[in-house]
Amino acid sequence: MLDITDLSKAYGAVIALDAATFSAQPGRIVGFLGPNGAGKTTTMRCIFGLATPDRGSITWGGKPIDRDARLRFGYMPEQRGLYPRMKVAEQLAYFAELHGLDGPAARSAATRWLDGVGLSDRAGSKLETLSHGNQQRVQLGAALVHDPELVILDEPFSGLDPLGIETMSSILRARAAEGVAVVFSSHQLDLVEDICEDVVIVNRGRIAAAGPIDELRAASNRRHLEVEVVANENRWLEECPQLVVEEARGDFARLVAPAGIDLAAVLAVASSAGEVRRFAYQPPTLSELFLEIVR
Amino acid sequence: MTRFRTVSLVTRRELLERGRSRAFLVSLVISIAIVVGAVFLPALIGQTKPQHLGIVGTAPSDFADNVQKVAQSVDLTVIVDAVPDTATAETRLKDGSLDAALVIPTDGSGPTYVVKSRDNSLLQQIVVGSFKPQPQIPLHELEPSDPGRDTAFVFANVGVILLFIAIFTFGTWVLTGVVEEKQSRVVEVVLATMDPRDLLIGKVLGIGLLGIVQLTAMVGVGLGLGIALGRFTLPASTPGAVTMLLLWFVLGYAFYATALAVLGALASRMEEASNAASPVSILATVAYLFALIVALNDPSGTAARIASFIPPVAPMVVPLRAALGAIEPWEIVLSATIMVISIWGLFVVGGRVYSGAVLQTGARMRLRDAWRASVRG
Repeated sequence: MLDITDLSKAYGAVIALDAATFSAQPGRIVGFLGPNGAGKTTTMRCIFGLATPDRGSITWGGKPIDRDARLRFGYMPEQRGLYPRMKVAEQLAYFAELHGLDGPAARSAATRWLDGVGLSDRAGSKLETLSHGNQQRVQLGAALVHDPELVILDEPFSGLDPLGIETMSSILRARAAEGVAVVFSSHQLDLVEDICEDVVIVNRGRIAAAGPIDELRAASNRRHLEVEVVANENRWLEECPQLVVEEARGDFARLVAPAGIDLAAVLAVASSAGEVRRFAYQPPTLSELFLEIVR
Repeated sequence: MTRFRTVSLVTRRELLERGRSRAFLVSLVISIAIVVGAVFLPALIGQTKPQHLGIVGTAPSDFADNVQKVAQSVDLTVIVDAVPDTATAETRLKDGSLDAALVIPTDGSGPTYVVKSRDNSLLQQIVVGSFKPQPQIPLHELEPSDPGRDTAFVFANVGVILLFIAIFTFGTWVLTGVVEEKQSRVVEVVLATMDPRDLLIGKVLGIGLLGIVQLTAMVGVGLGLGIALGRFTLPASTPGAVTMLLLWFVLGYAFYATALAVLGALASRMEEASNAASPVSILATVAYLFALIVALNDPSGTAARIASFIPPVAPMVVPLRAALGAIEPWEIVLSATIMVISIWGLFVVGGRVYSGAVLQTGARMRLRDAWRASVRG
């Protein structure tokens, strides 16, 4: 398990991380969310020793992370980087060796992962001759080629077409199913909601929320209420001042309900105004939760 | 995984990727062409230039005709001048208007072949071949030279040029390699697995090995051709001179490549690389010119002796002085020791700057900021 405790880092006067604490577990996918500049990349770089925290600790399996531990991690940085003039298969084999595999094992891992990301036919091509999307596939291969125990990916979905997104998410799911801890950052919240079990939301260097998505949604005070009363044009709302109107159009209204609202009373008001065709009460989506937290 | 394994992986990648690259093959071909040219060119120029032969006294009647015939057969123009006396001949030899003089005494004793310094044996062979029967003609040199001296001078001269080319070519490769890794951001993935210093060592080592390959090829081809064509006979000091050349390539390259790698890490794009490297490029050029101008003229002088102990200049001055036989063994040992210590110092300081700079993005960094930003300093 990856445990990040009290992690703090400042660049001059800019506080990048302020006592950030969260964890990632084997077999689970964590979505690491936050506005630009919130401290996501800094956190990832601290995990790989590319930035030194001012305070706090990062442990893997309860032990501080040293170089040997790091070799069992996989990393896909936000700014992609591979050797432009190196052949794709040799490149993957090189990264496998850098992570401690011997020559033959590295070469067979490279072949296996090129197949895994659907690029077997480009094994002998120089990286720079590949399209942007295919280069990103190779980058994913480079992060996974040594079968890491922990995979950290910074914005792995940015710039991918729907097909690429599908490949990327199925590979990440498969890794998690094999017991790998996966952490990735993204701004595509629908995608995160779709793929991840857990999220960590960081805002201005602080962890604003962390935990299973379902629990975070359930714990939110914010509830949506969607109501449609036939031929009433939302006049019934005048009797329910506690509801905040988010959207009202014809007979349809989308409302925000405060915590502890008496739903039966609201329904009674609506029913007395006309035929209730729709009455839906639901927790916020991840996007709504995110916006609520970071605003 | 051991650091040794990591460094050797980086070294192997540099060797394979660059050794197979067109850039290396082109560089190898060009450098060998330069050496071949250096061996052939003087020969070509020397043969086309007309040779002036002065004759003091009375030569056999058919001598002048014979000289022309023999000279034609070897494709050389010889102009024969009658010279009134030996003193005039010597004056004209010294000012260069005569290449050789044949002094034929009036007392009927054998002729003497006089030159300023021995160099062109072809003319002498022509003269000898023009007598029938061929006599033994003693050679008289006005300014006799140490037979090895000229060759040593050429060796020293060419050696410094080769050294400068090799150090600078491969130093620049290290520079562009560092900038390329930084610009493409691959360095972030690589440094997630290793210490920045190991990457630096591996890179300098891999490219340096290619440099040794190229330098060895240049020296080998040059010496081989020279001997095969009889352009020069090797002085006894040759193996020593070649060893010195390789030793000082290693020392000079390690020094300059490390400095260039550090400056390269401060640049963020390839366009800035040569700009960032300019302090070191200028230093290398000054050292090179100093070696060629000052040290070559006076290899035992105070300036050359002091320069032998100044790290940026020593790699070009010391092998030059050694080739000219103008350096004491203790000076070489002391100079090499100073060099090794300064490379180590440069690596410690530069390694920290490199670590701090190579992971930064954005504008070109200042040295001081890079020092402070060092991650694992």
